[in-house]
Amino acid sequence: MEVKHTLEFTPNLHKKYLLMVLNGKLPNLSSMDTNRSVFMYFALAGLDLLNELDSIPEKRKQSIIEWIYSLQVVNEEELVSGFQGSTVLNTEENKGQNSPYKWAHIANTYSCLLSLIILGDDLSRVDRRAILNTLRSLQLSNGSFKGAKDGVEDDMRFVFCAASICYILDDWSGMDVERMVSFILNSISYDGGIGQGPELESHSGSTFCAVACLALSKNLHRLTKAQFHALRRWLLLRFGCGFSGRPNKPVDTCYSFWTGGALKILDAYQFIHDNKLNHLYVLMTQDKYGGFSKWVNTISDPMHTYFGLAGMSLMNFGGLNKMFCELNVTRRAHEHLKRVQETWK
Amino acid sequence: MSDYSSDENEITEYLLYRNRKEWKDVTPVKQDDGEEPVVSIDYSEAYEDCYDYFRAVLKNKEISERALELTRSASRFNPANYTVWQYRREILKGLDKDLHEELDVIQEIILKQSKNYQVWHHRKVLIEWLKDPSKEKYLTEKVLAKDAKNYHAWQHRQWVIKTFNLYEGELEYIDTLLSDDIRNNSAWNQRYFVINNTTGFTEEVLSREIDYTLFNIKAVTENESAWNYLRGLLLHDKGGLSKNEKVTEFCEELYKSGNRSPFLLAVLVDMCYEQVNEAGGDSVYTLERAKQLCNDLATKYDTIRAKYWQYMLDTIEKKSKEGNGAESTSH
Repeated sequence: MEVKHTLEFTPNLHKKYLLMVLNGKLPNLSSMDTNRSVFMYFALAGLDLLNELDSIPEKRKQSIIEWIYSLQVVNEEELVSGFQGSTVLNTEENKGQNSPYKWAHIANTYSCLLSLIILGDDLSRVDRRAILNTLRSLQLSNGSFKGAKDGVEDDMRFVFCAASICYILDDWSGMDVERMVSFILNSISYDGGIGQGPELESHSGSTFCAVACLALSKNLHRLTKAQFHALRRWLLLRFGCGFSGRPNKPVDTCYSFWTGGALKILDAYQFIHDNKLNHLYVLMTQDKYGGFSKWVNTISDPMHTYFGLAGMSLMNFGGLNKMFCELNVTRRAHEHLKRVQETWK
Repeated sequence: MSDYSSDENEITEYLLYRNRKEWKDVTPVKQDDGEEPVVSIDYSEAYEDCYDYFRAVLKNKEISERALELTRSASRFNPANYTVWQYRREILKGLDKDLHEELDVIQEIILKQSKNYQVWHHRKVLIEWLKDPSKEKYLTEKVLAKDAKNYHAWQHRQWVIKTFNLYEGELEYIDTLLSDDIRNNSAWNQRYFVINNTTGFTEEVLSREIDYTLFNIKAVTENESAWNYLRGLLLHDKGGLSKNEKVTEFCEELYKSGNRSPFLLAVLVDMCYEQVNEAGGDSVYTLERAKQLCNDLATKYDTIRAKYWQYMLDTIEKKSKEGNGAESTSH
């Protein structure tokens, strides 16, 4: 397929790129070895936005599901249940068994659960009880969450993963919700935005995470009127010739979702909605071989490809599937989740 | 998540573990990636070899010098592997190693991988163990010299300052950063952090900070960071946003001089919002004023948010009709 210029939206190339991420052997990505399940989620969620999940054969969908379940850890004794990021520690010998450091990570549990939902799995093999028990043990006294049992930092990203896991499993016994809310409220900065934790600089990524947590747990009303106003204003100001993540920082493809998604949840996206500039920047970061990158003239990667597509979906551009922003997944996948949850009642 | 590079390429004259004498007694353990893996990675021979031995020692949690050396290689191949770091810390403890040496090791990596979460976390744990923060300000300053807005460095710096009470000299450091780049939002945030945790926003401090901020706004009137900081300061003013004379006089004068920075106009709109139903006074922050400002923002000075300024005007209009004290608590 010939690309005349980069401003022509090329969904077919993005499909090929994401299928390559999913099925190919990737060079130069070895430092992401530990986060393969996150990359898988970006690829699947991106294909879902493109309405191209059917380009994965049924048999392959099943084998992906099997691979995901091979990452599940059920270990009630050590409280490390959930999903691993990859098979780095998995061997023929410890298959299906617990072994030293075979621990779940909260970001991978989130990515794996969403991937299963996108693929249409019914989550029947997910050990919900074990995951929730572990999740509870990862919450800190200030309400934040660490990513895993030990050796991992804590911040708003993992609070979002925790809230999403509770929402997906339809069971908030996985955390102390009040503590989570107070952590979020304590992380609101003097400028109205929200940082990765108390007193840290406001950032669209952490602001999205915080806002989504409040929405998923039905706590948006806990923001005061002044906080709500300031938060929307701060987010709206992140929009210029594209979306940025912090005041006086350059625009970046991924913030078209982080900032845009938070604005959607706060019912403020409408204030910038039909501006013709909106999708221009994202299109400029399109790679002529498929995928999107962070900035113009840089190399595309799976993360920016997914968030570029997600951001453009919010702009109603390119005929992409609609998003359920709170969970960072399509509405189609969210509806499937709701049907699965019905069977648990 | 933008760091894909490892320092794999820098390893010269590298001997595979399976060819090393001291590892002869260990049987390497292959990774089981299932029959049809997903997001496969085309590992290099050296990577695979290293992790085959890593899996082998992990099985028995071997605590030894050779295992320590192995984790260094494994972390070189993938500095984002948190299991490698976690295991390495357990070996460091088990062998009672000199942690100051480890600080040098991790410093070198941080300077190359300054956006990697795992290496910063390793550093933090070492500092917690050593209870020695003496090198941390220097390290973060080295990182910030390359990227003055590096979030990890600021997060680490705040943690160290707060944990070990190292606020002294911080305002001076911020001054140097702001004189390099007055738009450095991270530095403004740090300024707020320091004051909030030291003197607090007493009347005297507030007055000093307002002077400082207005001076900097005057220099660059389209600097969102400085305007945001001003708003932050006024959260501590009993009169709110619109009753600090120094600020209102400054804004009015700036406006009269013909300046139409959208941040100036936005502050004036918010002042109107605050005062719109204080009836009977001689306030200049009236509904009429808000109309003018919002229209100017929407049509001339901030057109990409035109709908928002229309909405703000509607909100102010609604509030003015509700009258004093009738402010609803809903959004």
